[in-house]
Amino acid sequence: MRLGATLPSTTTKVNMDIEPGSSIPRKRVNSTSTADAEERQAKRLRVTGESNSKERSNATKQQKGPEITKGILTRAAHPPIQTSRSVYTYERLNQIEEGSYGVVFRAKDKQTGDIVALKRLKLDEEKYGFPITALREIHSLMQCRHENVVRIREVVVGDTLTQVFIVMDFIEHDLKTLLSLMPNPFLQSEIKTLTLQLLRAVAHCHSHWILHRDLKTSNLLMNNRGIIKVADFGLARRFGDPVEILLGVETYSTPIDIWSVGCIFGELILHEPVFQAKNELEMIGMIFRLLGPPTVEEWPEYESLPLVKTLNMPAPHAPTLRQKFSYLTSSGLNLMASLLAYDPERRISAEEALKHLYFQESPLPKHPDLFPSFPSLAAGEKRRKPFASPSAPERAKAKEEYDYV
Amino acid sequence: MEINLTPLATLSQIKETPSRRDGIPADLEDDLRAYGAKMIQQAGILLKQKQVAMATAQVLFQRFWYTSSMEKYGIAEIGMGALYLASKLEECPLRMRDVINVYDLLIQQAKHLKSHDISTFHYEPMSYFSQTFYDMKDALIVAEMQLLKRLGFYVDVSLPYGTLVNYLRVLNLLDDGKACQMAWGYLNDALQTPVYAIYPIPVIVCASIFLVIRHLQLPLPSERESELRWWELFDASYDDVWLVCGLIMRLYRPRSQADQLRPSQLLTKKDVRRWLHDHK
Ligand SMILES: Nc1ncnc2c1ncn2[C@@H]1O[C@H](COP(=O)(O)OP(=O)(O)OP(=O)(O)O)[C@@H](O)[C@H]1O
Ligand SMILES: [Mg+2]
Repeated sequence: MRLGATLPSTTTKVNMDIEPGSSIPRKRVNSTSTADAEERQAKRLRVTGESNSKERSNATKQQKGPEITKGILTRAAHPPIQTSRSVYTYERLNQIEEGSYGVVFRAKDKQTGDIVALKRLKLDEEKYGFPITALREIHSLMQCRHENVVRIREVVVGDTLTQVFIVMDFIEHDLKTLLSLMPNPFLQSEIKTLTLQLLRAVAHCHSHWILHRDLKTSNLLMNNRGIIKVADFGLARRFGDPVEILLGVETYSTPIDIWSVGCIFGELILHEPVFQAKNELEMIGMIFRLLGPPTVEEWPEYESLPLVKTLNMPAPHAPTLRQKFSYLTSSGLNLMASLLAYDPERRISAEEALKHLYFQESPLPKHPDLFPSFPSLAAGEKRRKPFASPSAPERAKAKEEYDYV
Repeated sequence: MEINLTPLATLSQIKETPSRRDGIPADLEDDLRAYGAKMIQQAGILLKQKQVAMATAQVLFQRFWYTSSMEKYGIAEIGMGALYLASKLEECPLRMRDVINVYDLLIQQAKHLKSHDISTFHYEPMSYFSQTFYDMKDALIVAEMQLLKRLGFYVDVSLPYGTLVNYLRVLNLLDDGKACQMAWGYLNDALQTPVYAIYPIPVIVCASIFLVIRHLQLPLPSERESELRWWELFDASYDDVWLVCGLIMRLYRPRSQADQLRPSQLLTKKDVRRWLHDHK
């Protein structure tokens, strides 16, 4: 075989037909000129931005062709390789909050006027280069694109090597602040909608082999159209070895997110955290009180756990869920108990929970469009009368427009 | 199910790479890409790193040269950064010191080859607190950050191995040990070329199988029934597959001794700048 000698070389015959990011099906572009391709190229927009999908829908409008024509997945469907843009593409508006890990700003895209959230990653004093946790956060956000996961638009950089910002859609509320400011608790129908959305996001992440590991109300955002967006993938991780995946081995890491969903479900109902404890021991006591101390039947491995021997176990008693959640129907209680099952292997999965009877019985989940809207603290909007007024988070004074440091 | 596609170079990036724009000839760029990728593979083997991390590093390395020029970044430092970064991405992080030591060895080895035989090579390990170490450490941190920035932090990589197994199964070739091994080999060699930065995985996998079929002269549906072309089962067109085959086969073309030596002497941007100056 003398294949090598007769084949085109790298440089002489590059005939790549279509541009990544332009999604115009192959057949058509073959007949268009290179100049057209180059022009599209010039108009090419951001990798992760909305613009990309806009371009896509334009292309579809023109000729109704889906990206996958006759099974041929073209280069066009792929995003282009692009360098990070500068943070100065955005005009800083106000600081939303300083988390333990980074600072979050509200900002405006100077070109499009879009309002976004910029999360500055803490990178100083990194002895081992770019932190693996930050890589996981970015990777997870990109992998888990979903209606109920906050949308990452791009990652931008400042003047120095330590200035890196994740750009996300700006979402008006976080659920924790909202719960603390809302005059009335959510209705059952609203709780169902929110819990369903949360479960959809979690199911999606798990199907992409991502664990969130930090689900709590301060990490759940909600827009003014009743849509929940899971945020803060700062502790997220990939799970499942590729080999395990190939062999179809179940890994039991996903239940930790499900437990958190149970806690959030409870917090939505109670309007306060289910377990509010000062330390771990107190927390364990509260859990035992609510669910009854674990028994060997419901959790076979439990007795062999290292810490259990050091605990002073209370006398066995039945769960007190029914008392704590007195207005919840029995299917609601059943869902709660399944989410908070002691044995991780028996805990319900997000997929299963989505099909739970609780969501099918009256009152049915409320359509997100029918949710009331609230003034957004994060956007610096004034709270109207009915809101109690606990101290608002410190907001940075209107400093220099470019002062991201 | 949502598809998450990895980035590919644009037509204009392919036509004129940043290195080309800085006056680096195409064949030199190809040689430097191949040499830098081979260094990553060698370093990974010495460090007993997983193949997925080495492959990911090589794909990031190949992508990098579509946004950045070899006149501004050296292949050794970017290769080192890519291996370090990819090891984090694949959740098998390496120690900085180990990566630096192995690259130091490979660089010394390359320098030695200029005037000597490999058999006379003696590695002089650097001392624990040597300036070289701190310089290389700084270079490593900067290279990792440059890779991230110049790839827009879009560092997801799809690897071809799972797809290969699927396709071989469909084509009833999975029991043919020789064919499997050979296809696997082509896919790994292809990491020395830009193909993973310009074509989707199915096309590259088809090309590796195409080469195996040619090489082992295996009978396949396309040969028997002219209307069924097997690569179309897998989202690939003939032209694309053929082109990828060409890029892979180019690696095996006979080269003169001088051509083979050339990239090993151009590991840093300084070397490249000197070369450009000498070849004006
Ligand atoms: N996309 C967004 N839109 C609006 N507000 C946001 C957005 N992302 C984050 N925030 C706000 O910033 C806060 C902190 O963000 P995030 O949880 O991602 O960072 P963090 O540093 O990990 O915080 P913590 O350690 O406190 O959990 C959120 O609770 C929310 O109030
Ligand atoms: Mg948070």
